[in-house]
Formats: sequence, structure tokens, C-alpha cells
Amino acid sequence: MKKMILRNVLLSAVLSATTSLSFAAEGVTIYGVKSVSGAFASYGKYADMGSKLAVEDYGTVLGQPVSYQTLDTEGNAGKAVRKVQEAISQDDARFFDGATLSSTALAIGKEVNKVNGVFVTPAGADELTGSDCNMSTFRWSVPTYGAIRETVKPLIDQFPDKKRWYTITPQYVFGEALLDNAKEVFAAEGIEHVGNSYHSLKEQEFSGYLTNAMAAQPDVLLLLNFGSQSSNALRQAINFGLKNQMTILMAWSSGLDQLQELGPDIAEGVYFGAQYWHTVDTPMNNALVKRVNEVYGMNPNYPLAADYISTTVILDAIAKAGTTDSAAVAKVMEGTTYAGPTGSETIRSADHQVLKDYYLLKGKSAADMADADDFVDIISSGKSFPDESTLMCKRS
Amino acid sequence: MMKQKKSSLFGGVTLAALATVIVMPMLLPSATLATEILIFAMAALACNLLLGYTGLLSFGQGIFFGGGAYVASICMINWNFGLLSALLTAMLTGALLAGLVGALSIRRTGIYFVMLTLSFSQMAYFIAYSLSDWTGGDNGLLDIPRPALTLLGFEISDLVSSQAFYAFVGTLFMVIFVFARRVIHSPFGTTLVAIRENENRASAVGFSTNHFKLLAFVISGGITGIAGALYAMLLNFAPLSNIELQMSESILIMTIIGGTGSLFGSILGAGSIVLLGDVLSAVWPRWMILLGVALIAVVLFMPSGLWGGVGSVADRWREYRRRKASAIKSQEVN
Repeated sequence: MKKMILRNVLLSAVLSATTSLSFAAEGVTIYGVKSVSGAFASYGKYADMGSKLAVEDYGTVLGQPVSYQTLDTEGNAGKAVRKVQEAISQDDARFFDGATLSSTALAIGKEVNKVNGVFVTPAGADELTGSDCNMSTFRWSVPTYGAIRETVKPLIDQFPDKKRWYTITPQYVFGEALLDNAKEVFAAEGIEHVGNSYHSLKEQEFSGYLTNAMAAQPDVLLLLNFGSQSSNALRQAINFGLKNQMTILMAWSSGLDQLQELGPDIAEGVYFGAQYWHTVDTPMNNALVKRVNEVYGMNPNYPLAADYISTTVILDAIAKAGTTDSAAVAKVMEGTTYAGPTGSETIRSADHQVLKDYYLLKGKSAADMADADDFVDIISSGKSFPDESTLMCKRS
Repeated sequence: MMKQKKSSLFGGVTLAALATVIVMPMLLPSATLATEILIFAMAALACNLLLGYTGLLSFGQGIFFGGGAYVASICMINWNFGLLSALLTAMLTGALLAGLVGALSIRRTGIYFVMLTLSFSQMAYFIAYSLSDWTGGDNGLLDIPRPALTLLGFEISDLVSSQAFYAFVGTLFMVIFVFARRVIHSPFGTTLVAIRENENRASAVGFSTNHFKLLAFVISGGITGIAGALYAMLLNFAPLSNIELQMSESILIMTIIGGTGSLFGSILGAGSIVLLGDVLSAVWPRWMILLGVALIAVVLFMPSGLWGGVGSVADRWREYRRRKASAIKSQEVN
């Protein structure tokens, strides 16, 4: 008898623990696909905070309470897809945001599109709004096209005599896209591309590539990698003394969290491209910074801001559509212009790409920093997107 | 004699496995989760044939898993392969890759064997990464179909619902489970155990141990290839992580936690790792530390894995009951 009771207690504990993961509250539920554990947990944590705060701030939509459910990807695209499938089939989930990894975002976009849902992501892969676009997927972050044109071009304009550029590129789809765009700008601006070093996705030791760069004697070193690889490449470049020999530009930084990790000694004098910076003076961003400081006691960083606005955009569209029918909500999102953290932002109907600013930042010295997060000056910002007639997105 | 053989294949552990396959989707929150557990149980079972029964610690399982997933997916996307032909292709791919890796690796033993499988694993990852036109590279291979189950031109199920796909994977798992039991109870399986216990002695009595080990590799690779293809069909997606070293590590951990030398342990190992990840990740972002603690605990206190632990508890319980019964009996006599 005792054995039976024990077994039943254990069974119900396991069942309640597992079912609670997929339980959906009544009303509207936003499902946040975030890497809160695993290799990308440092990113996912802030993204999760952003979506949670957005839902909390929204309160109700169409008279119904809004709730939020985290789907932890565990840093694994396969797990992420399986959990999204479960949420769709078990909880009738239709509204999703997040996904750090491009592979995860691409696969989730396909799953959500099968049920005509809505998925807003800040992931980097251009295919999201390009060859693999669909009715359900929307992307907040600027594609490689804009990231290069809003960093490389302003730097060329600022230093017209720096004609020799060297690139270090991760050899996979995203890195190749950045490199192709850089080459286009070089060709248009009469820049000599004196060399490129490819590295693999798992590389963390860049001394060989930096030596090659030094040998080519460029005026500018353009880092086309991101995350820990770009941090390590930059640290090693500084250790090699490259900052004194050439200008360094990291075209795709993750913003504040990366600069906090690098510190002003490394960042000083280096140029960074960024999707978001917390000192941007727009009404929505000022309100966001104030709110995040009140609630979390910190300045918002890129993942937090990106997932805050992604969640808010979905909820705004539900309110505007006057229905929770996800297909109707997706339709309403097309062409919408709203006040975002980077200013006025528009969702382009043709490819579901959000048209927003991208920033060129320059690292300050420790002495010039007004507060602990004042790592950079904003040098320039702007919107650059491929013309609609050249888009790879072909939706049926 | 005949009856005894039938009982060892279809009774006992096989019945327990069948009961688990039937009950699992009822106990778990979704059939999709149960399907993932069975697919990884299949991969762990294949790994068990190598580690548990032949004593070969292979880090190459991810090659066969990823290879099966990629080739089956490419065949389905580009040449409209059906379900069974795609699975057959995955099995042949896994077996072929295992034959290649095995043929070179089994020439060395111990740490050198492990190092060779590690090297093959890294090499396979970078090949998949480089062939992005075929594999999708870092973005993974998308739009993988899940074909309907047809036999002799008749559609038995479209496998669209997660329950229908689970039923198919469960049936296939049981077929493979019985096949694996047949293998380990055959003279071939007994020879594998002899090789695991003392390869020199097995060789001295006339067995060509390398041939036996290679065949074990091929069988293991074939089953792992099928598991990889099923995973791609489940997700409609084949991420690059399928062929990463971490996939080999995961399959090995499932095998060790479940219990090496026990086919049912493969279900326990896969189930506990997948479920732990799901439950603990919702509780604590650093849940992998707990996974590490669980692995250490199993290795220290249950060297035969969870299945061995269950067996040991059952033995102790039986011993306790026996002693209690004899004590009562002796009291009655007095």
C-alpha cells in the first residue's frame, strides 16, 4: 500500500512538473523562444527579461489578460523546434518571439507558418526575410546589407584616405553575406580589399589571421565575426598592438553586453556596428530605459530591447486587428509603422523586415565615460535596406 | 528448446519495453516528447551494442546519426523518396559510415581507438559544415518532409499527427529492440561479449575479433542512421548539431546513465536525459550542473546505470523478503 502511495505521489509530481511547462493560461499567451539555459544563456536571459516586461507592461489586450510562457531552447535548435511543435499542438499557441540562433529562427519560422501563426525574431540570418521568408515570420534586426552600409560607408566617408581594408570572416552563410556586402561597398567606393582571412565557426584563436592582416598592411581591419569570436579576435588584435597601426571596425557587435565584457581599455578607439544603443534619444527608448532601470536596475541591452519591442509589436497588432486570429494579426503587422526604440520603425510588407536604424559607435576611454555603461559615442545612424525589386523573398 | 528461445526474445525485458512504449505517451505531456525519447533510446541502444556488449567507447555515433539524417532528408527533398526508402537509405548510410570509421578505428585499442573516433567526429562535422549547399551548413537543412506510410501502394497513415508518428516510431523501435536482443543472444553476440571481456583470449581461441567488432560497428551505425532520419522527420529540420561531437557525447551519456549492457537501460537513459532537460531547464537555467551531478552519482553509486540500480534494488528487496520469511518460519518452528 505504502509502495503504491509513494509511486502515485512520484508519478503525480513528475506529471505536474512536466505538464506545467506546457500549460497555457486563458487569454492571450505570447511564447518566448529563448535560450535561457545552455551555451547562449547569457543572451537568452536578457531576451526573456525583455519579453516578460513587455507582457507585464501591456496587461490586457482585447479585454483579455496577456500571459507569457518561456520555451527554453537549451541552446539547441532541435529542442527549440520540438518545444514549439508541442506548444502549437498542446496549447494551440500561435504567437511567438525570440530565437537567438539563426538555425533555430529559420526552423521555428517554418513551424509557426504551418499554422499561420506570428513569429517575430531578432536573429541574424538574411534568409529569414530572404529565400526562406514566409507569411508568419517577421525580423526586427537589420540585415547584413544594412549593417555593412551603415558602418563601412560612414567610416570610408570619415577617413577618405584609408583605402586599404582587410577582413576577417567566419566561413559560413552569415559571414559570407557580410563579406559579400562589404565587397560591394569596397567596389562602389574605390577601396582596395587587400586580403581576407576565413575562420571556422568554432575558432577562438586568431593570432594567425591577425598576423596575416598585419602583413597586408591595411589601413582598416574589418571584423565580420560576432559574439565571443569577435570579442576574442578584438582582444587578440589589441594585444598584438593593431589598434596603433590601423583602424578597427567590428561590424556586427551585440552592443552593451559585449562592451561590458570587453571593457573600455579594449574598446577605446575601436568602431562598432550595433542594432541598438540605450542612449538613443527617442521617446520610446527613453521610456524603455527608465522602465528597465526601475524594474531591473540596469540599462536595456540589445537582446532585452529587441525582445521587448518584438513582444509589444505582436500585442499592438492583436489590439489593432481586434482579434486573436493569428493570420489576421500577421496581415495587420504588414506595413505598420510604430514608435520603436530606434525611432520610427516600419514593417515592410514585401519581406516582413523591420526598417529601422543601425548604429556606428566609437569606443571611449575610461576617463571619458560619464557612467558605467557609457562606453561609446554614437558616430552615425541610418536605414539601409535592399530595394524591394531585388528581394529574394518570394511568398506565394 | 525452441520455446525457451522465443521467451528470451519476446518475454521479460521485451514486454517491459513494449509496455513502456505503450504507456509513455499517456504519462508524458505530449506524443512529440515521447517520440524524441524513443528516437534517442534507439540511438542509445545502438551505442549499447558497441559500448555495453563489445566494450568499444565510440565518439562516432553523431556521425552516423547526422549522416543518416542528412542523406535521408536530401533524398526526400530532392528525389521524393518515400518513408521506408528514406529510412532504408539512412540505415545504409549509417552502416556505410560506421564501416568506414570502424575499419580504421578498430585497428587500435583503448585510448587510441577513442581518439580516432573523436577525430572522425570532428572531421564529419566540418565536412557537413563545408557542404552547405547540401546540408544547409550552420542554418541547418530545412523543409524536410514527413512522408506518409505506404505499403504496396496503399497509404496506411499520413503520419501528420504527432500520435500517428509516435505509433510508427514505437513500432519501429520495438522491431529494432527485438532485433538487437536477437543479435546479443546469438553466437555472434556471445562472441562480442567474449571480446569485451578478454579480446586476446577470444582471438586465441580462433575468432577474428576485428571482423566481429567491425560488424558490431556496422549494425550500430545502421540503427543510429535510422534514428537520425526519424529525428529529421520529427522536426522537419536537420540542424548541424546532429553531427556535432556533442551529439555523440549525449548518446554516450544516455547509454551510460541507462546502463551499459542493458537494452532496456537505453530507454531509461534517453528518457531521463530528455526529461531532465525539459523539467530542470524550467526550474534553473544552470540545470546542466545538476545533470553533471546526476552523471557522477550514477557512475559512483550505480555503475551498471539506472537499469542496474533498479535490478540491485529488486535483488535487495527479494533478499529482505526471503530473510523475513525465514525469520517468521524459524519463529513458528520455535
